[in-house]
Amino acid sequence: MSLRCIVVTPEKTELDCEANAINLPMFDGSLGVLPGRAPMIGRLGFGTLLLETAAGPQKYFVDGGFAQVEDNVVNLLTERALPVDMLDVGESEKVLLEALELPSNTPELAAIKATAVLRARCQLRSAR
Amino acid sequence: MANARALDKRRKSIRNIRKITRTMELIATARYKKAMDRAHAATAYTDQLTKIVSQLAAAGLQVSHPLLEQRPETNHARMLVLTSNRGLCGGYNGSVLREVMPRIAELRENIPDVVVDCSGKRGIDGLAFRGVETDQQFRNFEDQPAFDEVDKIASHYLNLFITGKMDRLDIAYTKFISTSKQIAKVETLLPLASLDEGDDVGESGITEYEFLPSAESILEEIVPASFKARLFKCFLDAAVSEQVARMIAMKGATENAGDMIKQLSMTYNRARQGQITGEIMEIIGGVEALEG
Repeated sequence: MSLRCIVVTPEKTELDCEANAINLPMFDGSLGVLPGRAPMIGRLGFGTLLLETAAGPQKYFVDGGFAQVEDNVVNLLTERALPVDMLDVGESEKVLLEALELPSNTPELAAIKATAVLRARCQLRSAR
Repeated sequence: MANARALDKRRKSIRNIRKITRTMELIATARYKKAMDRAHAATAYTDQLTKIVSQLAAAGLQVSHPLLEQRPETNHARMLVLTSNRGLCGGYNGSVLREVMPRIAELRENIPDVVVDCSGKRGIDGLAFRGVETDQQFRNFEDQPAFDEVDKIASHYLNLFITGKMDRLDIAYTKFISTSKQIAKVETLLPLASLDEGDDVGESGITEYEFLPSAESILEEIVPASFKARLFKCFLDAAVSEQVARMIAMKGATENAGDMIKQLSMTYNRARQGQITGEIMEIIGGVEALEG
């Protein structure tokens, strides 16, 4: 028995494959999914999606979104999904610096900055 | 009778133009198909979003979110106009501008601060000609708008809305209904009217889901995502409509050129015939004069 993993972004269906186990980057840490998991809808954070496939592990960087698990099908909705190899450390560092430059004088702006910084840090971690 | 040589020259130039318009039609057709495929691929995301929203609704969650709430007082409004960068697409840009102008006037009457943003060179020029100042100008959207670029605009708008610098966002674009029907439309995107709740709640609502961390938290996240998806959909629709409009305009131009060539050929043949007849008459006249 195996899991089916479908990753959709607003542009296209990024990935549709079989896997033995899936490690989802949830908003508060990773969550492992094995075949036969109870139905779930969860919030994704920024981080690495790890697929244990027959051909070996596959890693993707996922940029927030949602995960839905039902009947051994894992649906991921995310704004961006990239194979980890496509990420560039230098570029990720630049994004982090840019995020750190954002203003934070009001609570709303501070919240926006915090998200941007968190996102950049996670991207950098995935890139490494 | 017109000069046969001048007619032939004109006919040749029309033939050249017909070649160009036919090529443009073919290019537009190819781009239209690509744009259409992209628009189609994007539906998977929105479908999933609606599914999750309907699951949330089935879980008995009250759908409320700052982005969904109507502001008691609208002081700052924004209008985003989506047009094309290139011309030669018939009434595509014209109909969007025609739809937008009365709307801007109406907004300006009721709301003190109305800012207009525009994507597409044609729209920017058209608005400037009509005396409307545009704040942000985007010229980077061609036939395949990338989500990353739309995302930047969407995040910017979300930030403006959340920080209270904008109370309302309207978007003017050409909605793609079918290959033979596209309408220019103005829609209010922020505050979001409603999340599209799927009709299939009954069928898929049987499963009980575990919500991580909670249904409220997911809702909080899904509303901005749904706004972004909707804005992206508008860009995709506009891109598809542009290609369709260009395809149809170029098809018309090619057909018109064919008709003109037919007309000109007829006149040309008549002129040539007239010329030949005239020459024969002259020769016969000369021969008769010699004989006589």
